[in-house]
Amino acid sequence: MITRFTLFLVLLTGVASARKFYDDDPILREPQPRDVGALQARKLSDVYDLFSLQFADLGERQPPPGSKKPSIRAQGINTIENPFDNAWWEPRHFFQRMTPDQLRRGPGNSTAPSTRRKWTILGVKSEGVTPGFRMLDADNRQYFVKFDPLSNPEMATAADRISSKIFYAMGYHVPENYLIYFKEDQLQLGDDVELATASGKKRKMTLRDLYEILLKVPKTADGRYRGTASLSLPGKPIGPPRYFGSRTDDPNDVVPHEHRRDQRALQVFCAWLGHEDSRAINNIDITVQQDGLRFIRHYLLDFGSTLGSASTKANSVRSGLPFFSWSEAAKNFFSLGLHVSYVDFAKYPHLPSVGRLEAKTFDPERWVPEYPNPAFRNALPDDEFWAAKQVMSLTDADLKAIVETGEYSDPRAAEWVTQVLIARRDKIGKAFFARVLPLDRFAVRDRQLAWEDLSGTAGSVSVQWHHFDNPSEQRTAISNATTAQVPAFSETGYLLAELTRPSQPKQKVFVYLRRREGTPIVGVERAW
Amino acid sequence: MSIRVWKIVLGVTATVLLPAQEETRTAQIEKARTQKAAQLKPDEVSKAENLLSRFKDEKLLERFSQGFNGVRAKLGNMVTGGGFAIGPEYSREDLFKGLLKFRTAAQVSTRGYYKIDNQWTLPRVGTNKLSLDIYTVHRNYGSINYYGPGPNSTKGGRANYRLEDTSTEASAVFTPVRGLAIGGTIGGLWINVGPGNDRRFISADRIFTEAQSPGIQRQTNFLRNSVFVQHDTRDNPITAKAGRNLLFQYTWFDDRNLNVHNFRRIDAEVQQFIPILNRSRVFALRAKTVLTEADGNQVAPFYLQPILGGSDDLRGFRNFRFSDRDMVMFNGEYRWEIFAGLDGALFVDAGKVFSRRGQLNFANLQKSYGFGLRGNARNATFLRVDVGFSREGFQVWVKFNDVFARPRFGNAISQPVF
Repeated sequence: MITRFTLFLVLLTGVASARKFYDDDPILREPQPRDVGALQARKLSDVYDLFSLQFADLGERQPPPGSKKPSIRAQGINTIENPFDNAWWEPRHFFQRMTPDQLRRGPGNSTAPSTRRKWTILGVKSEGVTPGFRMLDADNRQYFVKFDPLSNPEMATAADRISSKIFYAMGYHVPENYLIYFKEDQLQLGDDVELATASGKKRKMTLRDLYEILLKVPKTADGRYRGTASLSLPGKPIGPPRYFGSRTDDPNDVVPHEHRRDQRALQVFCAWLGHEDSRAINNIDITVQQDGLRFIRHYLLDFGSTLGSASTKANSVRSGLPFFSWSEAAKNFFSLGLHVSYVDFAKYPHLPSVGRLEAKTFDPERWVPEYPNPAFRNALPDDEFWAAKQVMSLTDADLKAIVETGEYSDPRAAEWVTQVLIARRDKIGKAFFARVLPLDRFAVRDRQLAWEDLSGTAGSVSVQWHHFDNPSEQRTAISNATTAQVPAFSETGYLLAELTRPSQPKQKVFVYLRRREGTPIVGVERAW
Repeated sequence: MSIRVWKIVLGVTATVLLPAQEETRTAQIEKARTQKAAQLKPDEVSKAENLLSRFKDEKLLERFSQGFNGVRAKLGNMVTGGGFAIGPEYSREDLFKGLLKFRTAAQVSTRGYYKIDNQWTLPRVGTNKLSLDIYTVHRNYGSINYYGPGPNSTKGGRANYRLEDTSTEASAVFTPVRGLAIGGTIGGLWINVGPGNDRRFISADRIFTEAQSPGIQRQTNFLRNSVFVQHDTRDNPITAKAGRNLLFQYTWFDDRNLNVHNFRRIDAEVQQFIPILNRSRVFALRAKTVLTEADGNQVAPFYLQPILGGSDDLRGFRNFRFSDRDMVMFNGEYRWEIFAGLDGALFVDAGKVFSRRGQLNFANLQKSYGFGLRGNARNATFLRVDVGFSREGFQVWVKFNDVFARPRFGNAISQPVF
C-alpha cells in the first residue's frame, strides 16, 4: 500500500512540475535570499579536509565513464547556462565588458590603509616562514597584512593582488587587496597584543618582537617593507564553505556545492592561475546584512599561492600534479622513476619575484589541485566551456592592465607573468572550446538566429529547427527549416534550433526560443 | 497498465484536480528553500575534524616537540645499534630575547645506553656572521660492536666493548658569505673503554691485544682542537636535491696522560646532488675520507679510528664492521619521487679501511648495494628505510634522517662513534 502511494506521489510530482521553461525564465538574478538569522561560526581543519577528500568519497560524484547513468549537469544555473547573480557569483567581464580601469580596480581601490597616522597592530602571526599582521589604520579600518618570503621578494604579494583582480573579473566575490609599502615607524603596537611562541605559550608582544618578525620580511630597494593588506570583509565570518554538500544552516544554500557551476568552473580558473592550493579553507562565508536582511556571501580568499608562488617559497615543481594518486604512485614506484609526468620538463626563468610559473608544459586538461576537489572533479565539458569563455574574454591588453597591479619592480617579471597568462589562457580556450560546439552569445536579429563562434574555428554549422512543446518536452522537426532564419512559431509557442557541426556531430547546441516580446532566447543547452 | 499510461492518467487527474506546484522558476527556488528551511540545523563539523582543528590551534604538536615550558621528551638520536632512546630534554630558545639558546637532555636506550648532554649557543654574535657554541656530553654505551682492525676482519669475529666518555667543546663558526663557514673548536675528551656487556659476543679486551687495537687496555684523555671549512651550496641541507657540500676538518688530538696517542685526523667530504627532470629525480653522490697521522711511535687509539659499515655508509654491512687508521668511502644514490611524500632510492656503496696512506686508492673496495624508501614532510626526511646487500648478507635500516645529513663539523665528525 505504502509503495503504491509513494508511486502515486512520485508520478504526481513528476506530472505537476513537468515543464522545461517557466514564465519567468531565464532568471538572471536569484530571488531575494531568506534571512538566515544569527549563525554560529565553525572552523574547518585543513588536515581533515586533505585526508577526507584524498581517501573518502565525499559529495555526489559523476557516474563513472561508460556508466549508463546520465552525467549530472551543473545546477544552480538559469536556463541560458549561467549561474544566478547571487551570493556566490555575479556576471562580470564576459557579460559586460570591463574597462582596463575597472579590471585594475577589481573589488575596490578606494580604501587602501590610510597613512595619516600610524597603523596599530592588533595581532600577529609569527609562526611559519612568512609573518603576518592584523592591523587598524587611521580610519579604524581593519586589514590582514601578509608578506613575501625573503627568498622571493614581491612574489606572493604580486600574485595575491593580480589573482584577486582576475577572480573578481571572473565574477567571484573577493576581498579588496592592496599593496602597501612602509617603514617600521609606520607601525605601533596596540594594547595587550599577545604573541604566541613556537610552543604555543602566549605572552605580551614587544616592539622588539615586531622588529624580529620584520627580519623575515624582504625590503625594497629604498628600504621599505612591502606587503599585501586585505581589507576586512564586512559582516561576520562564519567559516569556509566546503566544496561538497551544502550548509545545513542556510536556507538559501539549496544546491550541493559539487554541482554548482560556479564551483565546478573554478577548476579552470585555478588551473589558469596555478592555484593548486584551492581548498576549502581558502574561502570564507560571511553573514552580511543588506536592506535589513541577513544572508551569507561566499568569498574566495588568499591568492598568495598562485602564479608561481607557494606563499612561503616558490611553487613546487609538482604544480598541477596531485599530492597522491594510487595509479601515479604505482607507475612511479614500479618504473623506478622512468615514468615521466607532464610537468617534469617544465623550465622556469630565474625570476625570484615570479617563482615557478610557465606555460610550455601547462596542460589545462591534466592540471589538478593538490588533492581531490569534489566540485572540480565533477566539472563537465559545458562547465569547462563556461569557464573557458570567461578566461578567453580577457584580452592581452586586459591581462597586461591587471598584471600592472602586481607592481613588479623588475619589468621582466611583469612581462613574463603577462605572457604566461596569455599563453595559458590560449591553451584553455583551445582545450575546452574543442570539447563542445563553442557557439555562444545567441540572439535573434532581423528574424535570424545569430551567434558568435568563440573559438573562431568551429567551421560550418548546420541548423535544424523544431517546434517544441514545453509541457511534454516533445519536439517536432520542421521540414526545410535548416538555415538561421527563424521559422514561424506554432501554437506551442516555442522553437528549438539544433546546431551541429559536421566534423563533430555529437557536439550540439540547443537554442530555445519563445514567442514573446523582448528577448526570445529562453534556453541554451549543450551536448557532446 | 504500463507506468507511462499511469503517468498520463495521473497527470490529467492532477491537472484537473490540483493546482500546479510551481508556476514560475522563482516559485520553484522558493519551494526548495522552504524545504531546506524546514530541516535547518547548525552547520557543525565532526568530532574528528573538531579535534584536528584544536590540535592545530592549540599547537599540540609544537608543544610536544617544543615542550611544555621548555620540557619535552627527546626521542632517538643516540648511536646506531643502541636501541630506542628516550629521555627528558629542557630547551630554551628565548633567553635574552633569543640571543642565547640552551638545551640539556638525559636519555636512556632500550639497550641500557645512556647519554647526558647540554649545549649553550649564541646563534648571532655581532653582525650575525659569527656563532658560538659550547657542547658537553657524557655517554655510556655498553656494547659497541668491534670486529678488530683492518679490512680483513671477519664477520664472525664480532666482539664488543663499553665506551664511556665525556667531552666538552667550544666552537666558533664564522660565515663571511652565504654558504661558506669557517671555524674552529677547542675542547677536551675523557675516555674510558671497558668490557662489553653484550654476552652474546666476546668482550673485545679479551681477544684483541694492545698491539692490534691500541688503547684497548689503557685509555687516556685528550685535548682536542680543530679547524674546519665548509662550502655548502645545497638547496636544502636536510634533504638536498641540488648543489654541493664540501667539508674539510683538521683535528689535533693531544694525549694528556699516556703520551702515546698523539695524532692528527683529517676529515674530507664531498657531496654532489645532480637533479634531473625538475628535481623529481636526483643523483646524490658522496666521497669521503678520514686519514689519521701520528709521529714516531704515536698511534691513534682504536676507539678514535675511522669506522665503516652501517646505515650511513656501507649499508650492506653491520654497524662498525670495519675499522682502521684510515678510511675512504663512496656512495651513489639515485632517488626518484613516488609521490609528494615518498621517494624511492637505489644505491651503491663502496669503501675500505686501511692502515697506510699509500692504500688510498680504488683497490679492494668493499661494496654494497640496495634500495630504500624515504618518507618526506616539510622538505625533510622523517623516515628512511634502506635494505643493503653485500657479500656478508643483507641489512635492513630504519632511520629518521637523510643518509648524507650528518652534523656539519666539530666532535660529531671527529669522533667516529657518535
